[in-house]
Amino acid sequence: MNDTHPTSVAKALRTGWILLATSLPLGLVLEALHAFKVRGFLESAVRREMWRLAHAHGTLLALLLIGFAAVAERHLASERHASIARDLRLGAVLMPVGFFLGGVLNREGDPSLGIVLVPLGALFLVSALVRAALATR
Amino acid sequence: MRRIFPVIALLCVAPLAVGLALVWGPDPVAVAAREPLRERAADYEGADSCAACHPDHHASWERTFHASMTQLPERDSVLGHFDGRPVEFYGRSAVPFERDGAFWMRIPRGEGEREAQVALCVGSNRYQQYFERVGEGEGGELRRLPILWHVGEQRWMHLNGVFLEPDDTRWDAHAASWNDNCVFCHNTGVQPRMEASERRFATRVADLGIACEACHGPGEEHVRRMASPLARLATESGTLAIVNPSELAQAESLALCGQCHSQRLPDPLERLSEFLDRGPSFRPGDELRGHVTPVTRETPSVSSKRPELFRERFWRDGTARLTAYEYLGVTQSPCVKGGELTCGSCHSMHSGDVHGQLEPELRGDRSCTQCHDEIARDVSAHTHHAPESSGSRCLECHMPRMVYGILDIHRSHRIEVPDVRRDVEAGRPNACTSCHLGETAPWAAQAMRAWWGERYEAPRSRPDGAPLDVPEALASLHAGDAVQRAVYARQLGREDAAEPPRERAFAMASLVVALGDGYPSIRTLARRSLERLERELDLGLAGELAAYDAFGTTEERRDASLRLLELLRARAAARCAPPRPGQLIDEHFAVDLERIVQLLDLQSDHVISIGE
Repeated sequence: MNDTHPTSVAKALRTGWILLATSLPLGLVLEALHAFKVRGFLESAVRREMWRLAHAHGTLLALLLIGFAAVAERHLASERHASIARDLRLGAVLMPVGFFLGGVLNREGDPSLGIVLVPLGALFLVSALVRAALATR
Repeated sequence: MRRIFPVIALLCVAPLAVGLALVWGPDPVAVAAREPLRERAADYEGADSCAACHPDHHASWERTFHASMTQLPERDSVLGHFDGRPVEFYGRSAVPFERDGAFWMRIPRGEGEREAQVALCVGSNRYQQYFERVGEGEGGELRRLPILWHVGEQRWMHLNGVFLEPDDTRWDAHAASWNDNCVFCHNTGVQPRMEASERRFATRVADLGIACEACHGPGEEHVRRMASPLARLATESGTLAIVNPSELAQAESLALCGQCHSQRLPDPLERLSEFLDRGPSFRPGDELRGHVTPVTRETPSVSSKRPELFRERFWRDGTARLTAYEYLGVTQSPCVKGGELTCGSCHSMHSGDVHGQLEPELRGDRSCTQCHDEIARDVSAHTHHAPESSGSRCLECHMPRMVYGILDIHRSHRIEVPDVRRDVEAGRPNACTSCHLGETAPWAAQAMRAWWGERYEAPRSRPDGAPLDVPEALASLHAGDAVQRAVYARQLGREDAAEPPRERAFAMASLVVALGDGYPSIRTLARRSLERLERELDLGLAGELAAYDAFGTTEERRDASLRLLELLRARAAARCAPPRPGQLIDEHFAVDLERIVQLLDLQSDHVISIGE
């Protein structure tokens, strides 16, 4: 357990940084698409919404992972670190990826199939957060 | 140094993913352009591309009837009740129904019937017409089906009962083509692409309905230029490569609306085949001259079979008496000739009430007093009427209702001063007697002379020869031509007339007689007026009026009129003031049929037949 604990928290921290490093540039890219009036982006309301959500969720969930890594050791029961960190990482990655894929092969009124990753990720995330709340010292 | 590469790779993930998605994902521009009848050609981009950068303006346009003028038949665009219930006109029936998610009609053909699938809907405000596809291929001709859905009355109507023309029991009489007719004004970026030799069409439009580029001009160059954020920052209005209607000079601003709100012919007429191929050449920012010539009363007919084709669309003094001539009317007005008026002075395309495209305050006097504020300060001094009465409303006198269109009577857009002699001798409605419904033309002329001077003379005669001692409204209802009769069939039931409903038994009696008019649309207008008066007076006629069918047989209509006249005679005394002499009804509320028949005999034999 002693080996697992720092490893799982470190993985969460690394995932948080990676997620932040991809989500923030996504925001820049979206801004550029607006700036240069790229019609493939602007004329699809679903795509615009999906990618905006991907950017927002990716950024905020990355911060959540970094915050988790910062407080886990001090405030969470150590035997729960590994499972909570795993589910948090899964949720934090699946949700923005799902939103992004939802806006790739979308039709006019619906996102594409990739959107199913979003509720899946949400389940992991909720599960992790509930368990984190219960494991708080 | 080795660690920098993963960082760069991470930062590139999102741009790469977005780039790949845009390259391999579906292209929304191409998807929109593949919709039936649509093609983004000839510098047009389509309203969707405007929405991307101007979402608020797009939304404010999208709620208008301009936007929904022409639509593909879908669940949320079809207004008619395709419920499988038969609707009967002139002894035969049609059945609008749904099958496999599509909208169909079973309609008479010869002695039998046929089925027609709705391929296009035109109209969304007053009524909605339906078109079927005829001929091979997607670009075949779209032909009008014989019944339409009337939004106000919430019922199906035969086209013959909506257009201004006598009863015509032929079910295919109005099977007009969309491709060389409606398409011009009810869509944007029109290319009829007619092959005249075989009468085949490959019609395409940039947008179904009247969309952004109808007023702002083709947007391709604007979209190209504005793709650069630096260009947007540096751009002044002159380099936008798009028209801002509010910055146009008066003539160009008027032409913008006049490209559709005026009947017109190609200028010169020989360009007709060019228009039927590539569409009209007018673009926003142009003057109409050089592209089209607005039709006037003097325009020679283009139909050898109908030499009166254009003349009958105007009152004798050249004032338009049909809708879609607003441009002509307003350009005949002193407010344009000697002032700065444009359509945009009153109408607004992105705000206000979509019914009329008017801001609420501009629906009334404000439309005039925004310029003529000196009159607003003491309105009675100008009108000689009580300030709150309809006689003090600017539009009632200067833009009276005398224009037929879409089964209603609308305001004239020729802004002018009423003149009883001019109006009566031109055989057109007069503002005074459109409100003082029980008064004669000489009475109105005398009042005008007393208030505004000797230049207002009494009329000497009516073109139809009806005596001037008969109230002008009643003489016009019975002896006038079809448009006059339609106007007064509506006006005799108006809520804000000088005579309150209890003093209008005379109007009811004459309106009941008008239920037997030879034009079904006039009968419908008379029925609506009677219903309005009945709601005020509660004479017990409501049931009989509800049962009255403007499309019934002559005998059915005659019997209904006789029953209504009898009910009126029996019940009016309890609720109505006694009629005055000369109002074609005696003190016992019995209609003076002998005099009315004399007036009816003065009706011209000339048949007016005006479709839309």
